[in-house]
Amino acid sequence: MEENLNKHSNISAADLDRLTKEANEEATPSSAKIIWNEFKADKPAMAALIIIIAFIIFVMIASLFIDTPKMMETNILNYNAAPGSNGFLLGADTGGRSVGQQLIVGARNSIGIAIGLTIISSTFGICWGLISGYFNGYIDWGMQRVYDFMMMLPMTMMIIVLVTIIKNYNAVTLTLIFSIFYWEGTSRLIRSRTLSESEKDYVAASKTSGTGSFKIIFHEIMPNISSLIIVDTTLSFAENIGVETGLSYLGFGLPLQTPSLGTLIANANDPNNITQYWWTWLPAALLIIVLCLSISYVGQVVRRAADASQRHGAAD
Amino acid sequence: MWKTILRRVLIMIPEIIILSILVFLLAKAMPGDPFTGSINPKADPAQLHHLMKINGLYDPWYQQYWNWVVHLFHGNLGNSYQYQEPVTRLISSRAVNTLWLALFTTILTYCFALPMGLYAAKHEGKLPDSIIRVYTYVTYCIPFFVILVIGVWIFGYVLGWFPTTGSISSTANPGIQSIGSRFYHILLPGVLGALFGTVNVVQYLRSEVIDAKRSDYVRTARSKGVPEKDIYKHHIFRNSLLPIAAFAGYSITGLLNGSLFTETVFSYPGMGLLFINSISYRDYTVITALVLIYGILNLLGTLLSDIILSIVDPRIRIE
Amino acid sequence: MSLVEIKDLKVHYPIRSGFWNRVTDSVKAVDGISFNIEAGETYGLVGESGSGKSTTGKSVVGLEKVTSSSIMYKGKDITKKANRKSLDYNHDVQMIFQDSLSSLNPRKRIEDIIAEPLRNFENLSKDEEKLRVLQLLDIVGLDADALYKYPHQFSGGQRQRIGVARAVATNPKLIIADEPVSALDLSVQAQVLNFMKKIQREFGISYLFISHDLGVVRHMCNNIAIMNRGRLVEIGTRDDIYNHPLHIYTKRLLAAIPETNVNDRAKHRANRLAVEEVYREQQDKYYDDEGKAYPLVQISPTHSVALPEDVAKELILKEGEVQA
Repeated sequence: MEENLNKHSNISAADLDRLTKEANEEATPSSAKIIWNEFKADKPAMAALIIIIAFIIFVMIASLFIDTPKMMETNILNYNAAPGSNGFLLGADTGGRSVGQQLIVGARNSIGIAIGLTIISSTFGICWGLISGYFNGYIDWGMQRVYDFMMMLPMTMMIIVLVTIIKNYNAVTLTLIFSIFYWEGTSRLIRSRTLSESEKDYVAASKTSGTGSFKIIFHEIMPNISSLIIVDTTLSFAENIGVETGLSYLGFGLPLQTPSLGTLIANANDPNNITQYWWTWLPAALLIIVLCLSISYVGQVVRRAADASQRHGAAD
Repeated sequence: MWKTILRRVLIMIPEIIILSILVFLLAKAMPGDPFTGSINPKADPAQLHHLMKINGLYDPWYQQYWNWVVHLFHGNLGNSYQYQEPVTRLISSRAVNTLWLALFTTILTYCFALPMGLYAAKHEGKLPDSIIRVYTYVTYCIPFFVILVIGVWIFGYVLGWFPTTGSISSTANPGIQSIGSRFYHILLPGVLGALFGTVNVVQYLRSEVIDAKRSDYVRTARSKGVPEKDIYKHHIFRNSLLPIAAFAGYSITGLLNGSLFTETVFSYPGMGLLFINSISYRDYTVITALVLIYGILNLLGTLLSDIILSIVDPRIRIE
Repeated sequence: MSLVEIKDLKVHYPIRSGFWNRVTDSVKAVDGISFNIEAGETYGLVGESGSGKSTTGKSVVGLEKVTSSSIMYKGKDITKKANRKSLDYNHDVQMIFQDSLSSLNPRKRIEDIIAEPLRNFENLSKDEEKLRVLQLLDIVGLDADALYKYPHQFSGGQRQRIGVARAVATNPKLIIADEPVSALDLSVQAQVLNFMKKIQREFGISYLFISHDLGVVRHMCNNIAIMNRGRLVEIGTRDDIYNHPLHIYTKRLLAAIPETNVNDRAKHRANRLAVEEVYREQQDKYYDDEGKAYPLVQISPTHSVALPEDVAKELILKEGEVQA
């Protein structure tokens, strides 16, 4: 081949550097770059992103300076101290514990679990969906029956039952338990897109080029559904904040001594708290709303940017 | 089509069997036994032992499972240890409440979502469309239980417009007054659920109508000079509304799973609240029965949606 | 010995029906066809859409699961995956696809697209690989600045040439060209075809050229097989097929070639109508009771036709009379 090519092409090794330079000048930005540029152009989205990241970093760092066991000690003297009194900026709850500090540690725990849950369940769901969509036949059939089964499961109930069974659980085990149940939606979405991508000729071309199945799945097909993956992951992050906080609200999430935004909202279950001592639960509720809204706003902008990069791909 | 439905139902059977085994084993694995708490703490361990024995709690798990299944087919789900009454009766009284709420919410959801979806599609890309899109996404991404808590705080406690606990006022007389009271109690959770559960129907309807608007048959109708109103009435609605009906099944499924939260926040005596209470009392019989019922209801919800879809969309029927 | 020998290729797709979803019938996309591809030649496979020609091409390159057949290459049956692997079969047999846009991964740059087979089949250093890609681009007439661009930035003809460059990258012995130009403008078709011809001359590649366009096939192919309803109806050299067609299907295809000479329009139309008349009246003569083509019968060293022997002889006689 080499001699053949040398004979019939005017290009030789000597031209390599020059031509590479020429090609670099003409290079097209990657789609990640296009998405980033679109994103940068949207000022409110940039602001939302910066606020989210800054907030996450703030609670991560601030919670390091808070002695959680000490914070969770009951102190009758400060029973439901109002905001601003007794040195409590945001007041204290029924146990005389600082709401402000609990908010910081609780936000860290809730966000941490949501991030962990998003990473684990999305990774698993994406892999499952890609594999199921790419290999048709019995593999796909079997994997789809698992979807059907997952869809039937009353998830919240199953999680509650599991949580009561496992005696000594912590944030990590809790995240894993959640992950068992929350990968199916992502996975279905990915599967249906993979199915249509696999039909395309570039996959056939990769097969005839000798590329192996798993390399085709993860190097050829996955980049083509990357915008879907990014958007879905962002949105499931927002949803996942609701998963842990919801369970903690019911009393089956994080253990009692570990504050979470959900356990703070659970203060509202006491009729006294909900009417008179609003500061024990309202800040946590508002914080969750703001967090979820800004994350999904960022998700929306990412979706738009990804569509734009898709347009660049489809146009001309 | 009957074949498709029958095949779907047959596929459900192994799923239900697997679920029942899973549920049974999980309930068995739960800590504690149902008697220690409920009888006199000073009771003789021998007596406790005897109670466990006559209830078959020392048998191997498959034997207990089999007994349970046999009883299940006789409509006997066992007795609740906590309430000391048959689980069947206990649950059926609660189920009515839960299903009423779910049905009411679903109907309301459609009432809100259909006009929104149509309006958004009609004004595609304009201001109303953007407002509706922002609305659906905002309502979608906020965790529902937070909305419930804030809702009950504002409308229940602060403004005092709605009751905050129970399913019926204790002073309501039977007859029209009790129906009114029941309705009053599900109004707030129903409206909140409907306002915050529109996203699927709105988005789906919107894209269906927009697709229909761009389709060739609508363009043909328009070029023939059919009035715009009739185009919507005869061509677009008919083709877009039916698939929307399919969401009813999924919607009820979603509401059932949300009932744990709704009923906790409103102390509404339905199956969800019963489950939460039973968990703290380790009331196995109730827990297993509830998980199983929710699983089967989920299945039926999906089945309902699939059947509606297969009626509406012949492509699905062929498989 | 031929480069590739295809014997009795069958590709059937099961039809499932009934309550238990059992296989009750099958669609016979390809139903027992045999032909050989010689080294260095261009073998044309012609038929209308749905005739199974693309399925045949995909089977030869190893993309389609065949129902039964033997496809011999270097003395091994490559319908078995293990044999394809041990031979590095796709190093030697490559494919050019019809849709140039979907056959190039939209998220990959041209360099990575063309280098893909090289990375799998040959161990080259980074610089060697890049040089090879640049040379391949040069051979199909594209500049070096294509290297870091994405497929959508090129026109259809350019993309198809990129597809050709990828197929040629490992210097294969055979390239399956599945309707390589039918999605392109007429003006660009000739350009791509000429590049393919040039490459064939320079590298000694065989093509299995699949097309529905007899005009294009005439330009490209030495030997031609006509396919209809999953079977071959006629095999022959270019001369056999174009000047002495025997099967009614071949005649119909030939009559359907648009005529550029406006003066002969009436004559051409009359000819076409005559062929259609024959087809309507004598359909049962050319197809068996189930509407399938008969087995092939050899009527000259190069020419075979799918007809019962007596019918074939009769037709040859008739043709002889006409020519005489």
